[in-house]
Amino acid sequence: MKRLTDFQLYCMLILLVMPVAFLKAPKRLIIILYQNAWIAPLLAVVPGILIIFLYACLIKKSKNPFPLMFEEYLGKPLNKILCFFYIIVFILAASFSLRFFVDFMVTNVLPATPISILIALLLLAGLVSIKTGLTSMARIAEIIVPTGMLFTAIILLLAFNQNTDPENLLPFAYLEYQNLFVGILFASFVFGKMMPVLTFAYFLRKKEQAARIAIKALFTYILIISLTVVAVIMLFGVQSSIILTFPTFIAVSIIQIGDFVQNLDIVFIGIWILGIFGTVTIPWFMACYTAQYVFGLRDYRFLAAPSSVIIGVGCILISQNLWELTRLYEQVVPMVYLAFFVFIPFLLFLIALFKPDPEIDARGNPAGNNPEEDCGQFSE
Amino acid sequence: MRYISKRKNLRENNNCPMKANQAISANLDENLRELKERLEGCSDAVLKEFNFGRDFKKRALLIYFDGLVDRKELEEHLLKPIMLEVNMLQDFVLDQDNLAIIKENILSLADLKMLESIDELCHHINSGDTVLLIDGSSKGLVAGTRLWQGRPVQTPENEVVIFGPKEGFSETLRFNTALLRRRIKSSSLKMESFVLGRITRTDVVLCYIEGIAPPALVEEIKQRLEKIDIDAVLDSNYITELIVDYKKTLFSQVEHTEKPDHVCGQLLEGRVSIMVDGSPMALILPVSFPQFWISPEDYYTHYYAASLFRILRFLAFWVALLLPSLYVAVISYHHEMIPTDLLLTIAATHRGVPFPAFVEALIMETTFEMLREAGLRLPRAVGPAVSIVGALIIGDAAVRAGLVSTPMVVVVAFTGIASFISPSYSAGMIIRIARFAFLFSSALLGFLGIMIMLLLMLSRMVSLSSFGLPYLSPLAPFDLKQITDIVVRRPWFSNTQRPYLEGMLNQQRQNRGE
Repeated sequence: MKRLTDFQLYCMLILLVMPVAFLKAPKRLIIILYQNAWIAPLLAVVPGILIIFLYACLIKKSKNPFPLMFEEYLGKPLNKILCFFYIIVFILAASFSLRFFVDFMVTNVLPATPISILIALLLLAGLVSIKTGLTSMARIAEIIVPTGMLFTAIILLLAFNQNTDPENLLPFAYLEYQNLFVGILFASFVFGKMMPVLTFAYFLRKKEQAARIAIKALFTYILIISLTVVAVIMLFGVQSSIILTFPTFIAVSIIQIGDFVQNLDIVFIGIWILGIFGTVTIPWFMACYTAQYVFGLRDYRFLAAPSSVIIGVGCILISQNLWELTRLYEQVVPMVYLAFFVFIPFLLFLIALFKPDPEIDARGNPAGNNPEEDCGQFSE
Repeated sequence: MRYISKRKNLRENNNCPMKANQAISANLDENLRELKERLEGCSDAVLKEFNFGRDFKKRALLIYFDGLVDRKELEEHLLKPIMLEVNMLQDFVLDQDNLAIIKENILSLADLKMLESIDELCHHINSGDTVLLIDGSSKGLVAGTRLWQGRPVQTPENEVVIFGPKEGFSETLRFNTALLRRRIKSSSLKMESFVLGRITRTDVVLCYIEGIAPPALVEEIKQRLEKIDIDAVLDSNYITELIVDYKKTLFSQVEHTEKPDHVCGQLLEGRVSIMVDGSPMALILPVSFPQFWISPEDYYTHYYAASLFRILRFLAFWVALLLPSLYVAVISYHHEMIPTDLLLTIAATHRGVPFPAFVEALIMETTFEMLREAGLRLPRAVGPAVSIVGALIIGDAAVRAGLVSTPMVVVVAFTGIASFISPSYSAGMIIRIARFAFLFSSALLGFLGIMIMLLLMLSRMVSLSSFGLPYLSPLAPFDLKQITDIVVRRPWFSNTQRPYLEGMLNQQRQNRGE
């Protein structure tokens, strides 16, 4: 079995939390907190670190990666039932991200193209990736993320260089605590999407490194989302940002360089496709990987094809239009993510508190337990 | 079962002309009969019987192929000593072990060795050696008398450099190995021989530097070479397709080169080279995709210039791969990206052109590829003329006739130039083929299509490996230390370590410069 590098895990975590939030979070946060929307991602450090601490404890206390991990606390039958629901949640997460992207494309770039074509093409790319295994997915992630980061940095730099008005950020800290709480909650629920770290940590050379890597991903997310929110507010002001469907996207499209390079939105979308590819593929991989455990299969790769059909159909059925999808993103998705990716792991964490630490060998793995063998059972 | 039995029959049929390995008999007549039977129809085979020794009592047979041996050496250093000098030896001496005595006391040839089977004998004479059989001895004596007309060491036509060595490999394996040995004067440079091809019996040499190349890699390649069971090996590419990890892929997993200095450079980085008799192309493995964009010349020029050229090459890679498809995407789907003035200019040139941008690009790209192929195959005297006619006259005529627009000609020409920047012909071919896939995808979905095609290509590339080396390394898996010597050319004074290869024995290239 090939292992993951720290950088690969970092990139995969970034792909899980960043792409959808980059487009969606700024507007929602501005609706909740107006000109102080940028404070919420900064304060989301606290719940973010708590969630990562929760995962780190589970990783430390458990011998096996998720989904086998939960079996240590719940027993086999109960865990299999729970994992069955996790399969559905992962498939929903993949379907939702895909549908969100496709709707965005159809609304803004390719209005005449049937969404089924776009869904099929993106699923094809994901299918190829999952078929080639986790190692390949991780390698794609480490190419996509630096590319995406570079473009994001350029876009932010250029956005700040347009007709920005810092006064749009004033008055500072004029906000209600309740709204601040909702804003922090909204900014931090995405950290639950890092839950696949419970599996990926066991593919690292030292699984304890996972928490440190997740913290890095958390700070990257916070930095980028905060800067994006600030850029959007400075560019459009609060009222216009609330009216615009995708203020981040519009911020990109108004960028002009030297009165020659213009309408860079399509470049942004091109790079964003790469990010969405990761956002869709990783939960999809987790769904297949969990299904391998639930149904006692020898390999997960062959599940990629049938699950692609499920994701495709789910993607079409999940909502009628972009408005419905946005409502789902704002009201239902956070609840589902919090329940499955935070609350359930939290309950297991409570059980784990009363469990003794497994003996640790020199490599940081539980004594008498070879992670290569364990992971090999669910081969990458 | 039917399939299995068919395979078996096929194998039997293949083996039909080959005889079982037979030992050399002590009876010369038996050997002569066997050899005549085997060499029946080989008009170039020479079987010379002669007598020697006091009173010419001893019978001997000399076997070689005319045209493959050095006749002068054969006559002066083999026939003459045996026929004249052996007569001076006492009979009782000759009665003991004729061949051993002749080998050790009579012949002045440097390359002599004994053999015991008829198969070995056939292989050696086919390779240009001469074999001596003596009545009463169940062994043969092989004399290295190879000499044939071959292409001398010339400048490689496909890997032209301005700085650095200009020697290139030829079709003669021994010349090629000598070119390596001349550069690496160390006994650590190992050259292990294999004979591949049931009929062609082609000599193949595996080169590596002991103490640097990963032993597991060398062992793995040896095993793969030994497993090859094919009737003929006429070029190094026969071997490439039989030993690589992933056979059904567009992406080349070995590097082909005609330059001995490049092979030496790679051997010193722990890689392994395979050379095939009759092919001027040496194989280098393992290889990763970014390495295709590194020219050996980079290390012979100043590192600032070399780094700039490397960056240019990487840029040219993207241009060669994506420019036509980006143009089609922008023209067909995303015109809002083009500034108004430029858009109006392009629109004006498009007026009257009956084809959409995609068809235009397809026609132009196909024409360009045809011209390129024609340019390669045409006789040298007319090649440049046809290229000029194709590029200038046909292009100009097509624009004047309103079949294609001027910007499209510029785009295709620029793409063509960019595709020639690749130092590796294999990488150039990958781009040429992939470019058409990108063209189709951009025609279908514009920029989105390009990105999806890019994702598919990326997915395939990251899943590949060349003898265990990830195909996109050091980009994925990311290795900052090594990538600095890929994107730019690291100066020698800071190039203290060799690029990492799994299992490499000695990564230290030099002590840290003071």
